[in-house]
Amino acid sequence: MPRLETIEIAIETGKRGLDRAPAYAINGHELDFDEVSGGKGSRETLRLVGSPQSVPHSLTLTGPDSGCWDIEKIEATFHVSGGDPYTVSLGAVTLDQETCLNLWYERPPQLLDV
Amino acid sequence: MPTWFAKQLDENKSAAAPAAGQEESGQSAPGAATHRQRRVIHAPLLASASAVPAGSGVRIKAQVDSAEKQVVLMVDRPVLEGYSFWCTSPAEAAKWSPLALALFDSGGVASVLIHENNITVTHQDIGQESDDARARRFGQLVRGHLESGVPTMAEGFLATMPSEDQVKEALQDVIDDEVNPGIAAHSGEITLTAVKGNTAYIKMGGGCQGCAASSVTLRQGVEQSFRSAVPQLGALLDETDHAAGRNPFFTAVPAGLGA
Repeated sequence: MPRLETIEIAIETGKRGLDRAPAYAINGHELDFDEVSGGKGSRETLRLVGSPQSVPHSLTLTGPDSGCWDIEKIEATFHVSGGDPYTVSLGAVTLDQETCLNLWYERPPQLLDV
Repeated sequence: MPTWFAKQLDENKSAAAPAAGQEESGQSAPGAATHRQRRVIHAPLLASASAVPAGSGVRIKAQVDSAEKQVVLMVDRPVLEGYSFWCTSPAEAAKWSPLALALFDSGGVASVLIHENNITVTHQDIGQESDDARARRFGQLVRGHLESGVPTMAEGFLATMPSEDQVKEALQDVIDDEVNPGIAAHSGEITLTAVKGNTAYIKMGGGCQGCAASSVTLRQGVEQSFRSAVPQLGALLDETDHAAGRNPFFTAVPAGLGA
């Protein structure tokens, strides 16, 4: 399992925005992002950079403390040790105070035409 | 248990335990870095489609796993419908599957699993052949075989199959008598979720869910026990979502029951 050095995330918010500073959790430990730019309100795009520098067994984006956060789209770029960065795109999902979003995706397998 | 694994369990137990007063107040203790329990959900993955476009000839894509010494060949049509076939020797292949035998005869093959549209070939990584070259060799061989019209399986293969109920009963006995008692010390459990034909689907729960060693437990423990009990078992598929659950990589056990 590779070591995740940094993760860059762009989040397009839908109707309902986030009520708190964005945070993520790696292996159950919640951390703040190193860099936060853009907006977390309705129809805004939030850009986040985190530096877990750890081997992720779980990696999640924390939901709001109250209400709901409508996410239209997420683009996550993973910088892992010993390999080129790769990007994963995720679709619409709604988070609330009971939920967090899985963010960990291993490098997509390369397929060959044989 | 390896020292590093025990150490990791201890660290995880510490991480999973709520800080004093946290549960009652609902607030994090100062400096606490522990993520409070939330249910992990998944967003739809907008990955580019990897489906093989339909065409007149047999189209095959290969996924290479160098670490596991495996090549998964994904064919644009069913290769073996409703059942699956797994073998580890040319002798077994010669008895039941001309396609598997052709793969063994090509050299360096350790096992072949045929299931629906997929053929998983585990190889012995001998010689100087690159992963890509090996995948192309297997792909060309399978394409040639399928286009030749020679059946994937020998006549009489299905007649040897036990019923789904017989498979379920035998595997459940293994789970109840061998597997779950063995992994209970790590708060793990295995559930048989379905049997379709001779393909078994399981889920790993408790301490197994998300555990980095779960694939080893599955291959070196559970799978061997299952195959001893049901020699006709084909594919054994793990349906566990190892990233889901409230604390998927470790579930705290009650005091006194820690591994």
